[in-house]
Amino acid sequence: MSASGQPGRPFDGYLAELTAQLPGPARARAGIMAELRSGLLDAADAYRSAGLPPAEAALAAVAEFGDPAQVAAGFRAEIAAGQARRVAVSLLVTGPLVGLLWIVTAAASHLSAGPALGWHWAGPIPGLGVGICLVAAAAGVTAWGALAAIAATGRLTRWLPARPRRAPAAAAVAGYGAVCADGLGLVLLAAGLATLPGKLALAPAAGAAVASLARLLLAGRAARHCLRLRASLA
Amino acid sequence: MRAETLKGHLDGILLAVLEPGPRHGYAIMEALRVRSGGQVDLPTGTVYPALHRLERAGLVEASWSAAGGRRRRVYRLTPAGRRALDTERITWRDFSAAVTTLLEPAPLAVTSP
Repeated sequence: MSASGQPGRPFDGYLAELTAQLPGPARARAGIMAELRSGLLDAADAYRSAGLPPAEAALAAVAEFGDPAQVAAGFRAEIAAGQARRVAVSLLVTGPLVGLLWIVTAAASHLSAGPALGWHWAGPIPGLGVGICLVAAAAGVTAWGALAAIAATGRLTRWLPARPRRAPAAAAVAGYGAVCADGLGLVLLAAGLATLPGKLALAPAAGAAVASLARLLLAGRAARHCLRLRASLA
Repeated sequence: MRAETLKGHLDGILLAVLEPGPRHGYAIMEALRVRSGGQVDLPTGTVYPALHRLERAGLVEASWSAAGGRRRRVYRLTPAGRRALDTERITWRDFSAAVTTLLEPAPLAVTSP
């Protein structure tokens, strides 16, 4: 870093080094960078008021802010917490919506195929009862992981301080739970189509399948992202 | 006083610095130095993630302000932050009083002749 005459220059280098160590899109880091830049300008002002020439004041400000790796590590924990929380909230919101689509599908199929279908489904579709239990278990894991991630990132941290790696880990568990729940739902649908041709209500089934597939893909991506964020924390 | 020594108390210290009124990041750092008589000297950059963590916990709230031609993120205590500061003060007083007593040289055993 050279002591150029423009006070902005050392800041650019410092902030570039810092931002390179933060995950996620530049847009998400823009607020952090703007805040740090205004802090660096304030620090340089203070050194100038104390009598340093502008270039030296800028360098002193950068030195005062400390090792960019250390500052970046602090922000990585914050970014991971924010991301984990967003993933957890979206899984908690979309879970019941997608579940509702499957219930509508089952109910519509029920109507078109006669009463008490829930019971004789278990016969024609092999393993339906077990499948539904597995979906429920996966949904339970999702909800548990999501709630744990929310607890580790929100106001509860006032009383229960959480280690930074816990929130992204819990969000990843929730994400993979959703992948399992939605994947199993699709497998059950495929089994239903194979063994009960013509008996399933196709329009709601298609809607539920598309919703589950979209959620599966997004949840899988979010879970992998959360695992990467977790790995980036000390 | 280095960062490791302060570990675990930085949150309370930041809340105390914000108690008199809202401040932006660099002003918080300056107040920290002045109030500690220069004893506290953290890398200034590390104060910002700590402030963001306090914001996430709902103990402070932040907003951008453009006073003086420079946009700055200004932090202020929330009611929960004020309560957390009170708790931190009581805990610290009890703890420091106990440790001070324990670290004093033990009085010589007084035995009656």
